[in-house]
Amino acid sequence: MAETPAARSVASKDAQLLDPDFLARLEQLEIVSRKIHASRQKGERKSKRKGESAEFADYRNYVVGDDLRHIDWNIYARLDRLFLKLFLEEEDLNVSIIVDVSGSMAHGKPQKGMYAKRVAAAMAYIGLCNYDRVNLCAYNDRVADFRQGMRGRRMMPQIVKFLEEMPIEGKSHFAAAARQFALRQSQKGVVLILSDFMDKGGFEAGFRYLLGRNMDIYVLQILSPEEVNPELAGDLKLVDCEDEDVAEVTISKPLLDKYKANLQAYCESIRSYCMRRGASYYLAITDHPFESLVLNYLRQRGLVR
Amino acid sequence: MSFLTWPAALMAASISIPLLLLLYFLKLRRVERTISSTLLWKKAIQDLQVNAPFQKLRKNLLLLLQFLLLLAVLMAIAGPVVNFVRQPERNVVLLIDQSASMRTKEADGRLRIDLAREAARDFVDNLPSGSKAMVVAFSDRAEVVCTFTNDKRRLKDRIDSIEATDAKSRIGEALQLAVAYSSSFVETTGDAGFNPESLQIADIELFGDGRLTDAADEFVTRARMTHHIIGQASDNVGITAYDVRREIDRPGVVSVFAEIQNFGDKPVTLDASLFLDDKLKDVQQVTLGPASIATSRPASDDLLSGRNVLFEPFDHDAGGVLTVKLSRDDSFPLDNVASGPIDPPRALRVLVVADDREIAYMMERVFRDALEINDVTLMGAGNYEDAEESELAVEGRSAFDLVVLSDHDTARLFPGNYIFFGGVPKIDSLTVDGDVEENFFVTWREGHPLLRYVTLDNVYTRKWKRLNLPPHAARLVDGEDSTVMALITDPGHRYLVVAFGLLDTNFRMQPAFPIFMQNAVDYLAGGAVTDSSRLIAPGDTFTVPTPPGAQMMTVVRPDGTEEEVAVEDRHTMTYGRTREIGSYLVKFDDKDKTTETFCANILDATESTIRPNKALTLSGQAIETVSGDVEVNEPLWPWAVGLALVLLLVEWWIYNRRVMI
Repeated sequence: MAETPAARSVASKDAQLLDPDFLARLEQLEIVSRKIHASRQKGERKSKRKGESAEFADYRNYVVGDDLRHIDWNIYARLDRLFLKLFLEEEDLNVSIIVDVSGSMAHGKPQKGMYAKRVAAAMAYIGLCNYDRVNLCAYNDRVADFRQGMRGRRMMPQIVKFLEEMPIEGKSHFAAAARQFALRQSQKGVVLILSDFMDKGGFEAGFRYLLGRNMDIYVLQILSPEEVNPELAGDLKLVDCEDEDVAEVTISKPLLDKYKANLQAYCESIRSYCMRRGASYYLAITDHPFESLVLNYLRQRGLVR
Repeated sequence: MSFLTWPAALMAASISIPLLLLLYFLKLRRVERTISSTLLWKKAIQDLQVNAPFQKLRKNLLLLLQFLLLLAVLMAIAGPVVNFVRQPERNVVLLIDQSASMRTKEADGRLRIDLAREAARDFVDNLPSGSKAMVVAFSDRAEVVCTFTNDKRRLKDRIDSIEATDAKSRIGEALQLAVAYSSSFVETTGDAGFNPESLQIADIELFGDGRLTDAADEFVTRARMTHHIIGQASDNVGITAYDVRREIDRPGVVSVFAEIQNFGDKPVTLDASLFLDDKLKDVQQVTLGPASIATSRPASDDLLSGRNVLFEPFDHDAGGVLTVKLSRDDSFPLDNVASGPIDPPRALRVLVVADDREIAYMMERVFRDALEINDVTLMGAGNYEDAEESELAVEGRSAFDLVVLSDHDTARLFPGNYIFFGGVPKIDSLTVDGDVEENFFVTWREGHPLLRYVTLDNVYTRKWKRLNLPPHAARLVDGEDSTVMALITDPGHRYLVVAFGLLDTNFRMQPAFPIFMQNAVDYLAGGAVTDSSRLIAPGDTFTVPTPPGAQMMTVVRPDGTEEEVAVEDRHTMTYGRTREIGSYLVKFDDKDKTTETFCANILDATESTIRPNKALTLSGQAIETVSGDVEVNEPLWPWAVGLALVLLLVEWWIYNRRVMI
C-alpha cells in the first residue's frame, strides 16, 4: 500500500482522511477523561483544584489568611459567620494520540494504517474542538515523529498534513516507542494508542512506561479482516513483512482454528491487561466503517461524549 | 542370500516409494505469501507441535534417517537368518498316498486326500528357494505326477491334480521311482567325478495315513524318509472278504459269504443287506466289538473283532450281481459295499486222462461217489492227443471244468484248469530236470485252500520230478531242495502240478486224497460255478477269453461310461482300468452277445484300517513321523517389515503434517 508522493498531497488527502460532514458531527463530541488531571494552563476542563471559575463547588469556614475576595458576604449577612465560597477551577486536557506506523500497519483491506490515521485525525479534531491540548505521536521501532501541544481548530490542517505525510514502514517496537514518548510527554492526560499490536517484543513493557506516568490510557487495537479470518489455503511460506521471518505452513482446519483461538487469546490478554490497570481497550476491524466506530462505538464505550 | 518373497517386496516398494516422494515434493512446493506478522502463526504452529508425538525426534532429520537405516539393517539381518539356519536347500521327493483309504472323510467333512494335498502344498511353500522337488502319487501303482523342478507353482498345481483312487496302497514302486529319479537327478547335476558312496538320494516325504500293504517288504536306504501323518478318523466298519458261489452239489443254490470287521474303537451293531441285482434278498444283523488297537504292523491278523456272515442260501438259476451293503455311514464308505457276479448254474464236467486203469477207476470213484460229480469223462493219453478240438474245447476254452492228467505231458492246453500227476504241461516256463530220490515232504502250506485239512505227514513217495518252476508259481509242497507241488497261474490257465505219479505214492490210499481232490475241485473248478478270478481288487487287471467272431469288446464301467476296445488277441482280452470299485460288465459283439461281469471290491483289511499309522516301519526300520498339521511355519518377517513400512509412512505423514502447518 505504498503511496506515491503525488497522492500524498494535502488537498487530495484531506477529503480522504476526514470529510467535512463528518467533521461537523465530530464537533459535538468531546474526549472523556476518567481522571481529572492537573494542568499548567487554564482550560475548559474542570480541575481537581478549586480555583476561579463560574462553577460553584463548595463552602468552607474562613481561616486567617484566606483571600477575602472569596468570602460569601451574603452568608455572612445572614448568619454572621465567615464562609469561603469555593469554585471549581477549569483547566485544559492533554490528549495524546499514539499511532503505530510500523510495516504491519500497511496491510489489510482496508488498510490498517489509513484506518488508524483517520481515527487519529478524528480524535485530534475532537480534542481541538474542545480546546484540549493535542499531542500526536507516530512510532514504529521508536518514536518516528511527535507533535506537541496543538490547540484550537486552526491546527487541524497541520495535523492532517502530519498524518498524511507519515510513511508506514519499519519494524514495530512498542516498548521502545512508549519509553521515548513517556520521557518527552511528562504531563498527565489521556493517551489513545492506535496499533495492531503485532509486535514480537510484547506489549506489557510499553504499557508499563505509560502507566508509570499515571496516564489515562485508551487502547484501540486495529485488525484487518484478513487477520481475523485468514483466507489462506494450501502449502504456504508465510513471510513477515517487518522482519522477513518465515513460517512454513500447510493450511488445515485445525491450524486455522488454532490461529483464531490464538488471536482471540492475544486480544483477550491485551484487554485483560488493560482492564486490570484501569485502561480501556477497544477492538476495531478495518472493514467496520470508522465513522460509526467514532460516532457510535467509542461513544457507547465511553471514550467520547 | 535369497529373497523368498521378492514379489511382495516389489509391490510394497511400488506403493511406498512414490508415496514417500510425493510427501517429499509436497514439502518443497510452497507458495510464498507476505503477511502482516507471523507472530500468531508461529504460536499456532508451536501449539500444535507441542501435542505432536516424536517432538524431539522431529527436529532431527538425521536421527530419522538413522532410524530408517537401522530398520533396513535389521531386516537384512533377520531375513537371511530365517532362511539359512532353518532351511538349507533340499532335494525332496513327495510321495502322496492316493489309495482307497485316502477317501476317508475326516471330522471336518474333508477327504483325507484333500488334507494330504494341503499338507503337501504347505510343505512345498515352506521349501527354501532353490530346492527341487518331485511328486509321486501311489496306490497299487506309482505314478510320477511331477518331475524334479524348483517351480513351486507348478508343483502345487500338479499336487492339486492328484485324486484318490479305490486301489490298495503299495509303496514299493513309488520308492523305486523316487530312488531312480533322484539318483539320475544327482548324477546329472553333480560334479563330473562323483562318488557313489557319498551319493545322497533326495529326502523322501510321505504324505498319507501310513497304512501300506507292503510295509513289511520295502525298505529305504541312503535316503531320509519322513512320514507326514494325514488324517485322524478311525471309525470304520468294512467288508474284508466276500465270496459268492453256487453249492457244488446243488448248483441251483447260491450262498453268499462276507467277512465284516470293525476297525473303530466302539462296538457297533449294523445290518448287512444282501441284494441280487438291486433286489433285497436277505438282511442280517451283525454286532462287532471294538478293534484292538494295532498300530505298528497293519497286518490282517492283528485286527480282531471281525465276523463272518453267511447269508441264507437261496435258489437262483439265472445270472446276476450279488451285492452286500452295510447300513452304516462311517468315515470310509467305500468298503461298506461288496459285489460279486454269479453265472447261471452249470453241472461240473471233469475229464480224467489216464492210461493206467486203476488210476482211472479210482479217479472216477472219487469224482462220482465222493464228490458227487456225475459228468466225468475218461480218456487215454493217446486219445486225448488225437481227440477232435470240438471234443475238448468250446468257444476256445476247455470244454471241461477240470482236466486231471496222470503221467502224461501234453501241449494240448485249452484255457482251463488242469491237475497233473507225474506229468507236466508243456509250457515254456516249466522244465523238468531229472528225478529226486526222496521219500518224504519237508514243508507244505497248510493254509492254502488246496491243502486245507490235508494231512501229508504219512504220505510216502518213491521219487518225484525235479521241477524248474517259473517265478510266479506258488509252491505248495516242498522237499529238501525241490518242489513237489506247485500252482502255476497263466492267463486263462491254471495248472496244479504234482511232481510224483500216483502209482509212486501211498497218497491215493490216504484219507487225505479225497479231501485234496475236493479242495482241488472247489478251488480250480469252483471257478466254473463262481470264478473267483472275477472278483478283483481295484487296480487289478482281468482277463476274458475272447469268444470266436468277436471284433469289439465293450466295457461298461461302474459309473455307467462305456469303453470300447478292439479285439486283437484271438484268445483273451485283458482290461486294466479297474481302479474304481463296482461292477465292470464286459460285452462282446459276437453272435451270442457274450457278456461277463467282473466286480472290483476293496476287500482289504489294510485299506479298511483307516486309523493313521503313527509309527510306520518299513521292514522293521522306523520312519520318522511328522504330524500333518504342525509342519507349517509361516514366515512372519515379511509381515513385520510391511508393518514397519506402514508405520514409517504414517510417521512421515504426521511429521509433515505437523511441521509444515
